[in-house]
Order: sequence, then structure tokens, then C-alpha cells
Amino acid sequence: MFTDETLETVGAESLWRKSRLLQQESKTCQTAELKTAEVEVQAGHTSENATQTEADEHRTQHFALERESPIHYPGLGEFLHSVEGVVVKELKRNVKSHAFEGFEVNWEDQSETVSCLHALQYSEAQESGLQVTSLSWNTTGSVVACAYGRLDDGDWSTEKSFVCTWNLDRRGLNPKRPDLVIDVPTSVMCLSFHPSKPSLIAGGLYSGEVLVWDTSRTLDPLCARTAMSDETHREPVYQVHWVPGARRGGGFSVLSAGADGRILVWQLDSEGQLTLSDGFALVTQQVPRNIKLSKARGDSLLGVTSLSLCPWDSDMFLVGVEGGLVLKCSFSTHTPAAVSSPSSGLALRAPAQFSFSSHAGPIHAIHCSPFHRNLFLCAGMDGHAHLRSLLQATPLLSLRLSDSYLFSVRWSPTRPLVFAAATGQGSVVIFDLGQGSLRPAATIEQDAGGKPVYCLEFNPKQPHLLAAGNADGTVKIWQLSAELIEQGQREAAQLEQLANEATE
Amino acid sequence: MSEVEETLKRIQSHKGVIGTIVVNAEGIPIRTTLDNSTTVQYAGLLHQLTMKARSTVRDIDPQNDLTFLRVRSKKHEIMVAPDKEYLLIVIQNPSE
Repeated sequence: MFTDETLETVGAESLWRKSRLLQQESKTCQTAELKTAEVEVQAGHTSENATQTEADEHRTQHFALERESPIHYPGLGEFLHSVEGVVVKELKRNVKSHAFEGFEVNWEDQSETVSCLHALQYSEAQESGLQVTSLSWNTTGSVVACAYGRLDDGDWSTEKSFVCTWNLDRRGLNPKRPDLVIDVPTSVMCLSFHPSKPSLIAGGLYSGEVLVWDTSRTLDPLCARTAMSDETHREPVYQVHWVPGARRGGGFSVLSAGADGRILVWQLDSEGQLTLSDGFALVTQQVPRNIKLSKARGDSLLGVTSLSLCPWDSDMFLVGVEGGLVLKCSFSTHTPAAVSSPSSGLALRAPAQFSFSSHAGPIHAIHCSPFHRNLFLCAGMDGHAHLRSLLQATPLLSLRLSDSYLFSVRWSPTRPLVFAAATGQGSVVIFDLGQGSLRPAATIEQDAGGKPVYCLEFNPKQPHLLAAGNADGTVKIWQLSAELIEQGQREAAQLEQLANEATE
Repeated sequence: MSEVEETLKRIQSHKGVIGTIVVNAEGIPIRTTLDNSTTVQYAGLLHQLTMKARSTVRDIDPQNDLTFLRVRSKKHEIMVAPDKEYLLIVIQNPSE
């Protein structure tokens, strides 16, 4: 009946559609080959250079001072054009003119002689036979302070001594009674007034302590002291100075140098303690080798007897040592000193950079010239004062000022060629380099019965006053004659000439 | 360099000249070869002195007027050339 049947499939082709495949074309393209090459370069020699400007501290008024200023000042060109002729004519005439040669004008009364204004004494100190070891004028020039002690004793003295101040501008000045007497347990070896605060004095003692007094405090003038520890001085402190602090615009710190070869910088803190902020030590083996030191052991410390700060270069200072050596030192050295430093303390550094030829005996005084950046004077026990330049090791001039020792030497603050020296024979010698002779311009006898004059200082604000302290315990204030004070016309140039002789 | 700068340079290069300053009518320095603080000091003081000198000359004779001012001191000589709008100050060391 019913059976399965399969039929064939039927297909109909499309007439209008063709296979897409027939119309496809394939295309390929390829770029031409890229040519590459590699090259290397290397610098065989390199160098680096860098500059940096420092921040400008003092900004005074600002005004339009640019050199290529875009601000055009109308009429400036015509103005200059019109005056140039006249001005140039006068300039040329001036150089050739002899009109003013030898023409001197006297504005003030000239005092012809040197006279002693005051002889200041303190009776208690004189009774104990104490000597004046150091003097200092304060920053306003009206107060002189003197320190009593002993310079001829070799012993460890425990006798009390004093620091006395007199105010010379006060009407009721009594030369026998000081305005202020400060009791000090041992001898005071050196004093220094603060450079801007008129009432602070720093002093160094025989026991190695450094004290700071404030004379404006009536109850107890002692305002700061160093604690006795491993790090402080153990031997007499011979020099004390105020140095500008490390921070810009900061206060001053106290620098002390002693016979133990250490130079320490202290800062005053508010509790009345002097804290050590920096320190240097002079060790024989670290002294620069251009001068040979005889017989001293390599690690022994060189006691410092005199020190001078340079007014031109705040990084440098000069040190005179017990053995007669003069050293140029720097505050910013990095070499550590070859001493065993205490466990908790400050690492001491070796400051010496250059040594000059030595004297035959301890150097008692060094002073840098306030008028020339390279010159300084040093004087010692051999009675000679040497004028030296920082640029060479041997002295420029060696002057024999006394048959005995010279204890102090100071440049005059007003005349570039004049300096004063304190001798062991009891006189103050004032020397003028411009006179060209080997004899002093003036000799002032202190009348101390032949006892030595230990210290002298010029008054910074009143240049005609000179204070000198001697071994019998008196301080004499001298008024200098006008010719020793007033600067002549060519003095600065003559000083420059003297300094330049060094290099030839 | 402009003519102004050249003229100032010529004056400055003369023998012994330490410094040259040009000041305007109010006493403010507009050109200088010295440092700031010295310039300000010289400009202020010499401007006042020049005005005083000028009034002195005119008080004595109203038809007269100041043409040049020279101040000689121990160390150097200061020359001032005045004008209606500007002042030229030259400091010279004649003994060099």
C-alpha cells in the first residue's frame, strides 16, 4: 500500500547573482627595504663647572639703577653732552695743578705734646702687689676696664684679684676709686669688651675658666661662666675675644685661647652657662711643614699666647705660640686635631694653615692692620717688632724697639703707618713707618719705676686717647698729640707700597 | 652702547677719577659707578649742598646763577655740574 519514497532535490540557479568570489582580487604591497646605520660617539674628556651666587644680606634702598635700563630719561643725553666738555677740562687741570700742594687747614686745636690725662689706681689691688694684666675699652669709648693679676709668677696662684672699670666721661671721676670693682677668685689674664653691647665684658682666668660679666647688673655682675670639665681649658687663658656668631645676624660668641693649645668658641645661653660650640687644638705635628720645629715632640700641644682676628676676612685668624711661632689659621677647617677627644664632647679641629718664620721667644702680641688686608705686626720677648705680610713667611721689616721684652703692640686706629708698643722697661714707644727712620716718633715714659708696661689699647671712638697698664698696678690714660692722630694725605698709599715690597 | 653710557665711560676713565654719579632733580641717583650705599650718601648730601650753593649765589645777585661747584678735601675733590633737570657728580683723587 504505502511505501517510503525519496525524491531528488531540485535546484534553480540564480541568473542575476554571481558568486562574489569571481570578483575579488587580492593585492599586496611592500615597502622598499629601509636602510639603517648605527653610529656611537663618546666624549673622551669631560669637565664640569658651576657657579652660585650668595644671597644678598644688605638690601638698602632700591632705585632705578639698571645699566641698560629701558627707562629713558628725557634730556639726559643732551645734559651730559653739554657738561662733558667743562667737566673733562676741570679734571685734566686738576691732575696738573699745583695749587693746593702744601696747603693744610687746621680745623681743630692742635695739641703739640703728649700728656697724661689720668692715672687710675685701685688701692686694694696695689697693696696686694697685683699687676695690670689686660685692658679693654668698651664700644662707646667711654669706659676702660682693667684686669689685675700676675704675669711674673710661675706658681698656681690662688689669690683673689679684681676687674675694675672707670667711666672717663663722668664728671665725678675719681682716679683712685673705680666705678665698679668685680671680685674674681684667681688672676685674670685677659679682658675683652663686647663689640656692640657696652656693658658686657669677657675675661679669661689663670685657672682656665672664662667668665662673662654684665656691668649694668648691680647685684651680681657675673652673667655667664664655663663649667670645669674635660673639654674646658685646664691652663691659663691668655686671650679672649668676641667673634661674630655662626648664624648670620646672630650674636657674638666668645673665643678663648690658652696655654694648653686649645682655642675654644663658647656661646652664651640663657641660664648663665657658656656652652662650647666649637673648638680647635694646635698640635705640633699638624703645623704646616714649611718651618721646622726643633725638638718638640710630635703630639705636644702648643700653648697660645696671642691671637688676632682679621677685620678683612672673617674666616681667618692669626695665632702666636709659646715657642715663637706665628700661624695663620682658619675657622672653617675640616681636619680633626690629633688629640684624644673626650667621649661625649666636641671633636677638636686643627686650624693651622701656614706658619711664618719664628721669633726667638714667646709672641706676646699680634695685631692685624685695620688699613691693609695683608699686613700685621707681631712682637715678642726678643724686643723686636716684626711687620709681616700674610703673603710671605719672612718679615717685611724687623724693628728693634727695646732692649728688653715687648709685651704688647697695637696699630693706631686712625693713622695707617703708626703703631704703639709696650716695652719691658716701662715705656710706650710710638713708631711711625712713614718717617723712614729707625727711631721712634715718640716715647712715653710711664714712670713706673722701671717696671714693665704690660698692655696698651687705643680708644676706638676717641682716637687721641691711649691707655697703658703697667706692673705697679696703675693705668695711665695718655692724650696723644695731633700729629700722631691725624691722617696725612698719602699714608694709605705708602702703606700699600710697603706691602707690595714683599712680593718683589 | 648708547651715547649716555659712552659719555659716562669717557669721564670715568680720566686719570684719578674714583666715581661718577648722575642725579635727577629730586636727588635720586639714576646712573652710578660706585656701590649703592656710597652712591645714596653722595647723592643726598651733594644735592642739598648744590641747592644751598645755588641759592647763595642767587641771593647775592639775582641775575647770577651757579655754574659749577667744587669741594676740595684732604683726600679728594668732588665736582658737581648742575642743570635744571640733572646733576653730574664726579669724585677725583688729584694727587694720584
